[in-house]
Amino acid sequence: MDERKLREWVERLREAREVRRRFANWEFIKSQPPKLRIALEYFVETGDFRTAAALAGMGADEFVDFARLEAGIPLVY
Amino acid sequence: MSASAVADTSFLIDWARYSRSKLLFKLFDVVFIPESVLAELRSERTLTWVAQGLEEGKLAVLPELPDASREALQLVARSRRLPVRPVDYPEAYCLVVGRELGYAVLTENGGALAVRDYDPNFASVEVLRALDILYRLWKLGHVESFRRELEVYERETKRLYTARDLAKYGDAL
Repeated sequence: MDERKLREWVERLREAREVRRRFANWEFIKSQPPKLRIALEYFVETGDFRTAAALAGMGADEFVDFARLEAGIPLVY
Repeated sequence: MSASAVADTSFLIDWARYSRSKLLFKLFDVVFIPESVLAELRSERTLTWVAQGLEEGKLAVLPELPDASREALQLVARSRRLPVRPVDYPEAYCLVVGRELGYAVLTENGGALAVRDYDPNFASVEVLRALDILYRLWKLGHVESFRRELEVYERETKRLYTARDLAKYGDAL
């Protein structure tokens, strides 16, 4: 296990979260019904589209399109 | 250059939105899509792109290979014990198949990209993001400008590459 690389990726993924938080359309996200709002917020925080899609009850690609096109969340990692 | 590649969900759902997506096949004779990846695609755009590729013989469905599947599950479990985003089964499967069969792995998934870097078991796997593919297409003369093509790709897919991502291609940008 390359500990230095591991730490670097922790930092990279933290930066990615900051980018998602900054560019997300929070007005849109907050206006969504709970199931979708929670899924979008989870995606902003983690970048994990698969679990977010499951939370939203959508297919993975359907959710990613919704997140990037409607909620303005950039895809970083 | 690998003649074959295996693509995960994160790559496909971006790449299918790219207006020049057929350029992928300038680099790879065939791109495999694992069954576990295919199963999670639902949008018309992505499925249409995949169906056309399958019809043309440029894409092929990769069945579940028991040994690869077992190792992928072990990788998933291992990655969940670390303080970094874990790798999920479809990406883990791509990484194992990429290593065992010598295929390039096409992904944008942070968990998979991280594993390739920190886990010496996967250090030999060629892992490519769209950024890397566009760079190679430019080097081979299939696109006129790397910078402009990257701008098109980012606009069409809403994929955002960070300064850290772009640093390795600094001279070309």
